[in-house]
Amino acid sequence: MRPKSVSNENASGSAMRWVLAALAVSFLLATAIAASLIYMGSFDIAADSPHSQPVFWLMNTVQERSVAMRAQDITAPSDLADPKRIASGAGQYAEMCSSCHLAPGMKRTEISRGLYPRAPELRRGSDLSPVEEFWVVKHGLKMTGMPAWGVTHNDEMLWDVVAFLRKLPELNADQYQALVKSAPMTHDEMMQDMEMGNGEAHGDH
Amino acid sequence: MRNYICTAKLVFGILSLTALGSAPLDVAFAHGDEKMECTEASMNAMTADVQAMNDGDAKTTAMKEMQVAKDMMAKKDMEACMSHMHNAMEATEK
Repeated sequence: MRPKSVSNENASGSAMRWVLAALAVSFLLATAIAASLIYMGSFDIAADSPHSQPVFWLMNTVQERSVAMRAQDITAPSDLADPKRIASGAGQYAEMCSSCHLAPGMKRTEISRGLYPRAPELRRGSDLSPVEEFWVVKHGLKMTGMPAWGVTHNDEMLWDVVAFLRKLPELNADQYQALVKSAPMTHDEMMQDMEMGNGEAHGDH
Repeated sequence: MRNYICTAKLVFGILSLTALGSAPLDVAFAHGDEKMECTEASMNAMTADVQAMNDGDAKTTAMKEMQVAKDMMAKKDMEACMSHMHNAMEATEK
């Protein structure tokens, strides 16, 4: 006759093996189902067919957490309220951002109506901190249509845009137009200036 | 003369009622330049707009209104559907 403790060990070992086998089979089954759904093209990637709320929540949460983690080590410059910076950012915003994110007094554009996910209307404010906004403007966002402006613009120019974004929700249509007109250089002039090496060198964020 | 006026009024009245009766019920409104109707395409466009809103009371209201609009559409009550879509649209513009 076996000792009772050995018998108990065998029983619990056998149960553990069953649990592991069940987990492995479940995992393989889930993978096979997911692969079949992908192969059959079941997921609708059309931009005029919005995600269901759970999928939207998942994508949004992934995006928010990803941006928050990656932006946490960035330090914002202390002069984001500088009027010159804001005016410079306004000029760039009008050129680079307004066709998707719109602006005070501006009607919805064809591109803003067709993008999915919709580009947020930034005149309504943003939940992002300045460093998060900088990160998004610089690196862009996959599968949203948001480009990585850091590929073509230096950090200083992008901080100007962030400075303007902090001011944007306070502006009406006339104030917005006045600010855009007060930009020290046009976007093309700024780009030329940057290419000639007049833009300041900045740390990599 | 009096009979003539009465007949003219009657004819005018009948014509007006006929015109009103035959006019299609206006179950569409504009969202910006976009014509919104109780159709799947308009619902999708409005849902995308609502999803893009910042979190807050207005977004919660808009989401609830869209859900009711979808329920009404499923029940083929187009007027109620439009009414709730309109409420959702107003919430998106707050």
